[in-house]
Amino acid sequence: MKSWHRYAICITLGLVGGAGYAVSQIRGNFAENQIRNGPWRVNTNQGTASATVLTRAKVALNGLLALPAKEAMYYLATVDSEGKPLNGRCTYTLRGEEFDARWWSLTLYQGEGWLVPNKANKYSVGSGSLIKAESKPAQWIITVGPDIPEELNGFIPTGGVPKFDLTLRVYHPQGVLLNDPVKAKLPTIKRERCS
Amino acid sequence: MIRRWILPFLIGCGVAYGAWQGTLLATPFALMHAAMTKIGARGPENQFAFGELATAANQPIVRPSPDLLYSTCVFDVSKGPLLVDVEPIPGAYWSVSVFDARTDVASIQSDRDTGGKSARLLLHRNDFKGKFTPGYTRVPLNYSKGILLIRMLLTDQSQFGEVDAIRRKARCRPA
Repeated sequence: MKSWHRYAICITLGLVGGAGYAVSQIRGNFAENQIRNGPWRVNTNQGTASATVLTRAKVALNGLLALPAKEAMYYLATVDSEGKPLNGRCTYTLRGEEFDARWWSLTLYQGEGWLVPNKANKYSVGSGSLIKAESKPAQWIITVGPDIPEELNGFIPTGGVPKFDLTLRVYHPQGVLLNDPVKAKLPTIKRERCS
Repeated sequence: MIRRWILPFLIGCGVAYGAWQGTLLATPFALMHAAMTKIGARGPENQFAFGELATAANQPIVRPSPDLLYSTCVFDVSKGPLLVDVEPIPGAYWSVSVFDARTDVASIQSDRDTGGKSARLLLHRNDFKGKFTPGYTRVPLNYSKGILLIRMLLTDQSQFGEVDAIRRKARCRPA
């Protein structure tokens, strides 16, 4: 083997290996290396110059044009409160309390962050259209599942997709929600049944 | 035999590190460029384009919010500053944010920041030496190109007509 062959092999492997590793990191679990709170994960430095190169690349892929934390926090759940992956063939109940924020909404996505086609053309529930829990009026309930009910308030269809995630957008967050998201009181996600 | 591979191996490691960092650094620029191309197809550069509500059939960018009305201005300030005027939505959340080519937020103003009044921005390269138009908040940019994005909240779909009429008063134009 000639000398330049050895260089060509090592440089090619280096290029492919280095770029491939970067792509695998960027395409890896978006929830990795984020602040954790129950089933929820959150970044606090998206959109800022202080974000690491990996965070910036991941946010660009999974949430391009995301706002900085003082304007909006984006909590992401890919699992339920027991740690099981969210499955579009299952029905889930989310229970939470009002947030210390201007307004919020919960949206269901599949893949890298695409809205899921469904017969009701419904993709989210906002804080302006909530169902309060009968036993605890301060608590709200949102149902997520494949079977579309007649009453769409407080419901998000999964479209039956095998895998989905939930993004909780909280605009103008205050208090622990903004400053100490690990201690923030976030909704529970309970799996009720699967078809 | 092995000694002949030591230098090529070390150079290969250096190339791998460079390729790793280069890919991480280039990804935001590449994805932003793709978004600018896709969003820019809706209308001319340095002018607002007014998008419809996001649905499964209308998703110009990843992870869109179906609760917000988006308006976009794909800008290029390489030839001079850009003036932006955004009319407020009474009593509802709205914001105007400026993202540069690296995806960093150069500016964000919402109704909380403007006290419910309109937002008036002047986007310019940070090395711009010319005269600034008075009455506008300056937004210096490290990169010439980027996307300006207005978000307006629709708590009820029936508000669409009212909010749509107000947002279409927004202007994005060369100074």
